[in-house]
Amino acid sequence: MSRAQRKLAQRGLSLLAALIALVVVLFPVYALVVGSFESTQTLFSGNYYWLPHAPTLSNYTTVFNEQTGHILTSLIVGAGTALLALVIAVPAAYALSKYRLRVTVVVVSSLIVAQIVPSIVLATSLFIVFHWVHLLNSYPGLILADGTYAIPFAILVLRAFFFALPNELLYAARADGATEWQTFRLILIPLARSAIVTVAVFAFLMGWGDFIFALTILNGSGIEPITLGIYTYLGNYSTDWGAVMASAAVALVPAGVLLVVAQRYIATGLTAGAVKG
Amino acid sequence: MITLQTATGATPPQPRAGGPPQALGGHGPASARRISARSKQRLAAWLFLIPAIAYLLFAFALPIVYNVLLSFEQVSPATLSHFFSPGAGFSNYNFIINDPTSRDAIFRTLEFTVGSLVGQFVLGFALALLFTTTFPGRTLARSLIIVPWLVPLIVSGVIFKFLFQFQVGAINTLLMDVGLASRPIDWLDNPHIAFWTILVANIWLGIPFFTMLLYSALQDIPEEIKEAAAIDGAGPWQRLRLVIFPMILPVIEVTFLLGFVFTVKVFDLVIGLTGGGPANATQLITTWSYNLSFQVFSFGEGAALNNVLLVLAMICAPIYLWLSGDSLRRSSGVAP
Repeated sequence: MSRAQRKLAQRGLSLLAALIALVVVLFPVYALVVGSFESTQTLFSGNYYWLPHAPTLSNYTTVFNEQTGHILTSLIVGAGTALLALVIAVPAAYALSKYRLRVTVVVVSSLIVAQIVPSIVLATSLFIVFHWVHLLNSYPGLILADGTYAIPFAILVLRAFFFALPNELLYAARADGATEWQTFRLILIPLARSAIVTVAVFAFLMGWGDFIFALTILNGSGIEPITLGIYTYLGNYSTDWGAVMASAAVALVPAGVLLVVAQRYIATGLTAGAVKG
Repeated sequence: MITLQTATGATPPQPRAGGPPQALGGHGPASARRISARSKQRLAAWLFLIPAIAYLLFAFALPIVYNVLLSFEQVSPATLSHFFSPGAGFSNYNFIINDPTSRDAIFRTLEFTVGSLVGQFVLGFALALLFTTTFPGRTLARSLIIVPWLVPLIVSGVIFKFLFQFQVGAINTLLMDVGLASRPIDWLDNPHIAFWTILVANIWLGIPFFTMLLYSALQDIPEEIKEAAAIDGAGPWQRLRLVIFPMILPVIEVTFLLGFVFTVKVFDLVIGLTGGGPANATQLITTWSYNLSFQVFSFGEGAALNNVLLVLAMICAPIYLWLSGDSLRRSSGVAP
């Protein structure tokens, strides 16, 4: 075989392997989307259809009738988590990267350790603490709890990003008589806009996708995000699989939007070291 | 989420610590102004940091300490309105030791974690190697492979519950269509099989993470080193074992460490997929702790089991901090 033929063969084999891998990895999500357009009858026919057999929107009609409130709740929780993360993390990351404080080692170590703490440990205690301070079944309570995913992550990612920003601009601002707050507000934040957006998007997804705090801290009625709505559907006596699939597909939308329109933000989030946990 | 500060090769370039030389001070009115500017900077830095410290104390330190307290108390719905409940000595821990479901959950969590990490590493490494070869559509394939990572965990649980159904599930249907199974497999309701089902689902979840980290490590190996090994007559397997593997070993270690931390806390997936059943055959520490605290309202027992989990997860903390090394202390800019 000539060199060119070998190269071609290698590419063909790699492509084949990649296609198989992608089919396996994407199949569950694909099956969810296809299933969300099937009638429950088709879903239980015992045949698997790679494309919708008798496409219907009735599952989505059910979901929009029953879950619209839950979707709004999830949007509020996601946005609240993003906002809380930014308000706390942007200044903190600035202090931990551009000032020399003795406490930096302790705080950064604590943030790293905080990421290791399992959510169920926090949820059990927070349930009782929140009961005590009347934060159960409230947006502020859930958003504060969801911050435990987003805030250590946001501070560490932003801190790594701020290191790369040139100090000269900050010094110049100070030399021109800007206060520390003005330097932060008028120099740092505009420079860091892309990192801040990335962190906000990830924080939103963490609040949107949270299940464990919703399950424990919202143990009453009233506020119910989409993740909890899906779980309630599952627990129903006879599961309406069509509705489950459609609501699960709706829960995928923010991540899907991110994947399509903000590919570079995902790359930034991942290469800044974001790892799910 | 976990943030990795080292070894992914992704940390931004490190500016020289210290910034421009500071005035040495001590000469007349200029130095008085300097000192006051520095104390202003110090004050500003603290003001920037205080919300984060307050949050860490409230949302992490308080719950962890309180969880320890709870584990020595007799907590019931009746005592919930008080911050402190009657003491219980070690009885909650005694319960955990003697309760077969708790014991099984602890060992099952370890098996689940080891099994997941091995599966995720093998598949993730294979994919990472695949992405270092050239083929059409490589960039697209690489961005699609991270899809499982973006799916909310409870949704993954739902998807797999749907796919793994007994009579009509897509997986059984497809397995029988291609002749790999002669009759449907009871993925979810057979206690001997259900563990493997949650394992498979969790391996799927972790593939993007392992692939991304290992791929970026493979990218960082200089091309000359691989070529030199090839010129010296090393075959692909030898190159992998003697050149590539040792070079990315630090990243492999970090990946396993983070994977461990991530897997011991898996909760949503199992709750959605099996709810810990059938007959507690898939209870992990997390799901059983949830059951103890929020289903039977024995918060003390739940807290005791939580502490077992916390100790297990925290085994990694010193290694993780050590690996994070320099980035802990690193700071640039002003020195108040």
